[in-house]
Amino acid sequence: MGEYIIRRIIQALVTLFLVTVFTFALIHLAPGGPTQVMIAPGISPEAFEVQKRNLGLDDPIHIQYFRWIGNLLQGDLGTTFKNNIPISEILWPTVGNTFVLMAIAWIVTLIIALPWGIYNSTRVYGLSDQTAAFISYLGFAMPTFWFGIILQQIFAMNLRWLPLSDMWTYGKEGNISDLVMHLILPVTVLSLGFLASYVKYARASMLEVLDQDYIRTARAKGVKERRVVFRHALRNALIPIVTILGLDLPMLVSGAVLTEKVFNWPGMGRLFVDMAVAREYSALMAIVIVTSVFVILGNMLADILYAVVDPRVQLGRKGGGSK
Amino acid sequence: MAEKVLEIRGLTAGFVSDKGFLKAADNISLELKRGETLCVVGESGSGKSVTSMAIMRLIEYSGGIIADGNIVFQGEELTTKSQEEMGKIRGNKIAMIFQDPMSALNPVFTIGDQIAESLMIHQGLSKQEAMQEAIKLLGHVGIPAPEIRVKQYPHELSGGMCQRVVIAIALACKPDLLIADEPTTALDVTVQAQILELLRNLQAEFGMSILLITHDMGVASEMADRIAVMYAGTIVEEGTVFDIFDHPSHPYTQGLLNSIPGYETARGTELYTIKGTIPRLGELPSGCRFHPRCPHATEKCKLLEPGAIQLSDTHRTACWRYNEEAEVMNR
Amino acid sequence: MSELIEQEKVSSDSQADLRKPPGPWKIAARKFVRNPYAMVSVFVLLFFIVVSFSAPYLTPYDPAKIDFSSTNLPAFSEGHLLGTDELGRDILTRILYSGRISLTIGFSVALASVIIGTVVGAISGYFGGWIDTVLMRFVDVMYSLPTLFLNILVLAIFGNEFIYMILILSFTSWMGVARLVRGNFLQLREMQYVEAARAIGVPNRSIIFNHLLRNSIHPIIVNATLMVGSAILSESALSYLGLGIQAPQTSWGLMLSNAQEFMLINKWLAVYPGVCILLVVLAVNFIGDGLQQALNPRGKKHPVRRLNEWRKKFSKSAA
Repeated sequence: MGEYIIRRIIQALVTLFLVTVFTFALIHLAPGGPTQVMIAPGISPEAFEVQKRNLGLDDPIHIQYFRWIGNLLQGDLGTTFKNNIPISEILWPTVGNTFVLMAIAWIVTLIIALPWGIYNSTRVYGLSDQTAAFISYLGFAMPTFWFGIILQQIFAMNLRWLPLSDMWTYGKEGNISDLVMHLILPVTVLSLGFLASYVKYARASMLEVLDQDYIRTARAKGVKERRVVFRHALRNALIPIVTILGLDLPMLVSGAVLTEKVFNWPGMGRLFVDMAVAREYSALMAIVIVTSVFVILGNMLADILYAVVDPRVQLGRKGGGSK
Repeated sequence: MAEKVLEIRGLTAGFVSDKGFLKAADNISLELKRGETLCVVGESGSGKSVTSMAIMRLIEYSGGIIADGNIVFQGEELTTKSQEEMGKIRGNKIAMIFQDPMSALNPVFTIGDQIAESLMIHQGLSKQEAMQEAIKLLGHVGIPAPEIRVKQYPHELSGGMCQRVVIAIALACKPDLLIADEPTTALDVTVQAQILELLRNLQAEFGMSILLITHDMGVASEMADRIAVMYAGTIVEEGTVFDIFDHPSHPYTQGLLNSIPGYETARGTELYTIKGTIPRLGELPSGCRFHPRCPHATEKCKLLEPGAIQLSDTHRTACWRYNEEAEVMNR
Repeated sequence: MSELIEQEKVSSDSQADLRKPPGPWKIAARKFVRNPYAMVSVFVLLFFIVVSFSAPYLTPYDPAKIDFSSTNLPAFSEGHLLGTDELGRDILTRILYSGRISLTIGFSVALASVIIGTVVGAISGYFGGWIDTVLMRFVDVMYSLPTLFLNILVLAIFGNEFIYMILILSFTSWMGVARLVRGNFLQLREMQYVEAARAIGVPNRSIIFNHLLRNSIHPIIVNATLMVGSAILSESALSYLGLGIQAPQTSWGLMLSNAQEFMLINKWLAVYPGVCILLVVLAVNFIGDGLQQALNPRGKKHPVRRLNEWRKKFSKSAA
């Protein structure tokens, strides 16, 4: 197990490195480059050069890169061009907010989707199954942000049951019930977005497992059907589902961009969009790197989780005993 | 005279499809006595597996149905039992083992767990008692160091060992009938011999009856007391092992025997094959199902399907060539 | 009399022999036509395409023209079927012109990413070795970057022009096709007929294009169709965020962002563009599904429920 984890960590670091190079390259490929945004236009060419040197923009590209990486590793994410605010100050609080939103949405999704999918696998093409299929078609075709806007109109504006946007009501920060009220609409929108997929995964996984020989053996042993489904089948069906959960883990940080914008939720997604519109390249780079770290971490965790759950994964060793 | 453990009369089972009801097993009648081994021989598609699954009432989980017939096990009619009632019989009084041992075991549970489950369900043993019994069973089926193996997972065992484990699971509750569907087909030849020997020994020890399904006449010759030959869903010949091997009457049986290399023919002669292929269930030939491939087919064979004709006390066949010598048994 | 009948029989038999059995494309076409969802979707999609691209002939208004004299008119007002927005622009016109943009982007992105993905996947799968490793590492990196983030980033850097939109969307959606094509190639490479072809001396390039692509083409077509939908959704999202299509051009996503701002004034502003997106993407998805079922050689003819009823009817044990 230890060997496997080390290998995965190395893989992750390599990928992360490639991501930083890629991001850095991308920013510096911009027409005009960072000089365009960082230096006020219309100044004299000499002043331009002075500014450039001060900002370190005339150093060879790899020096700039390493300087940037060095700063990142020390936690210095740079500052915004406008007003020189340290990016870490504005970034880290938003991470927590996004996490809260996504975690709750995810949990809600799983609580509904997994049992529903498993149930559908036992009554294939029944009413419940067809309903799920119908919802999944809608879910794939409907723009989620539009759904959010419509919900806003109905529940916040017309019916006035729920708050329109933001995470807290002004003056009520820290109040849990206020938070819950603000969570309901965005969580609904997010949840519905994943729901259809997870129902499908659960159903498909169960169906595949129920078709296996060892299920036939279990029935031939006289095991009651209920136990066959919930113990023999489910344990196996969960393995691919756990894998998918793991792969989706990174969405905890990056999946809510649109919803955050619709509901003005103070999360990383909204921050990213605002920074993009304002062309704050340093901030954008920082957010991309932070997000990628989470993505890569998430993937790694998923792989390790998979190895734990499935006894067949020999983690590098070849399987098989003696004859 | 030993009692009848299993009696099948007129069993018709198969699958509903767009083309209607496909009879994978058509009007099958078989008998099995206590301590006896009956081999059902046939190629893939002959309906032998469907018959065995029908006995266990497992066919319904694959979308199949039993349309007609009786299956009487130790005096009880099985076709009308509910799945719950069958659950008490399966793994307990009737056990079944299948072809591919590696996929027959659940990959996420230990060997011990899987054996112990039977014991806990049918005999009410506690987890510890069941595990102890499981270790004993593993030793009984010839697995060395059973205390270690009992905690291992199926992927850590070889094919032959897995099949031994499968047998251990099947025999855990000492069933009266063991149905074995091609238990050695997926194994190496040397391992095959070991498994067959194991089955013979266990049968002698527990006095159980075995319904052994195979396509291999060699296996049948070693294991069977009686043999039933199936083709395209019907039984074409049935008799003791001597009846079949010494006096094969049905042309299909003869073809099967001739196909064994080196059986009757000298070394270096051309390999014998039965010309033609097995008909698909929706496209059965008229009259005798074998007539398109039969070297002795007559006009009558093309028109009328032969019923069972008794050749002796123990031997019956479904072929019009024997019409004149014997009575036709009622369907 | 009987001779006559026999003669007729002979000629019709020989005619039957001359007709070839239907090829796989024809069979697929037949299956597709019988699928009600797919056929309706084709009409819906065609309707949108025709109506959006003939927008200049259908409406007299300029989608970008600001007219403060007729702002916020409700639907069914004089001369404005769906009303006007806060700047006096006719909504129906804007919907139609947006359709042009969204559909163009959708199809272009689908085409471009299929081309990129196929090339990358083919090279990777056919040559294997270090080329494969490098390309697949690249795919891994692309997957590590959240797509939406990447799209936003690039648009922020390079600008919002129409062409950049298409390029960036293509650059973030080719990976799926690449993996698919590579997988197919890896499989087919091992298969017998490639060895046979090589044995006859067919040169490398022919092997790739003729044999292997022909087999990979089914899933590629299905994937491409579905990608049209996802490209349209991505474009709407980006335009909604203000990073995609900008005024004076119009897009359904952009209209939605307006609609949210002016929710209090006109509730229906948000409905029209959203419904359009929904219908177009739904149609494209149904077509994609229909294609997948049509190109699949196996298929159920009877609905499972009917089979279940028959099963119960025939069964003796009816458990």
